[in-house]
Amino acid sequence: MPEDAELIAGMIRGESGAFAELYQKFRARLHQYALSLIRSQVEAEDVVHDVFVGLAKQASGGRMPRELSAYLYVSIRNRCVDRMRRKRELALDDVDLDLIVAPPGDEDRIELRRMLNRALLELPAEQAEVIVLRTWHDLEFAAIAGIQGTSINTALSRYQYGLSKLKKELEVHGR
Amino acid sequence: MEDDRIERLLKGYRLPEVSRDLDHRILSEGAAIMAPAHARATMEEVGWSLLHGLGFGYVAWLLDLVTTTDAEYRVEFI
Repeated sequence: MPEDAELIAGMIRGESGAFAELYQKFRARLHQYALSLIRSQVEAEDVVHDVFVGLAKQASGGRMPRELSAYLYVSIRNRCVDRMRRKRELALDDVDLDLIVAPPGDEDRIELRRMLNRALLELPAEQAEVIVLRTWHDLEFAAIAGIQGTSINTALSRYQYGLSKLKKELEVHGR
Repeated sequence: MEDDRIERLLKGYRLPEVSRDLDHRILSEGAAIMAPAHARATMEEVGWSLLHGLGFGYVAWLLDLVTTTDAEYRVEFI
């Protein structure tokens, strides 16, 4: 897969193929990230849509961010935070979405999926955010701290607190 | 349960699917937005090749030099 810099150059030349590759590279991660923040399938899709369409507009004007990955994550976060300010918070019972999907045939994970999913959604938002970014997006704590606008130590302790709550939840269920 | 065990357990899960409808919406809108930039870039390319073909390669080289070299600005306080 081409590097981000190549895709950025391609997008500035207006190549829709470069845009499609870039979208393909980030779509699943940014979609999960938006879901974990805004907790609504429809709104998460709208946010991802707006961020990529905004990126296409920038490219067509000959401008692109230097740190593409950081830019995309921060854009998703800002848009989610902005929407969350305007809507009432849903009770967890009203939230029906999957942040994680078990691989087919993996009985152990299939069995735990619903419980882990719920436990993730019950975590304080900042802790769930760090766990998502660290576990499934492989981001360094420095990058996560940059996205959250906090220190590396804070990001690290949010991760540890979140993980220990998930651990307790698993232990309650005899794991 | 150890920390690395729960980390391994979590990592084994996949990300949720992205809907085909969203893919289609984003890719078609993105392509439409970038179409003028693509036309512009193609025209530029044709223009450069034409200059080279007509033996004015040095003009193209000169323009390239001017447009890709960063200008330097300096403010002097007296």
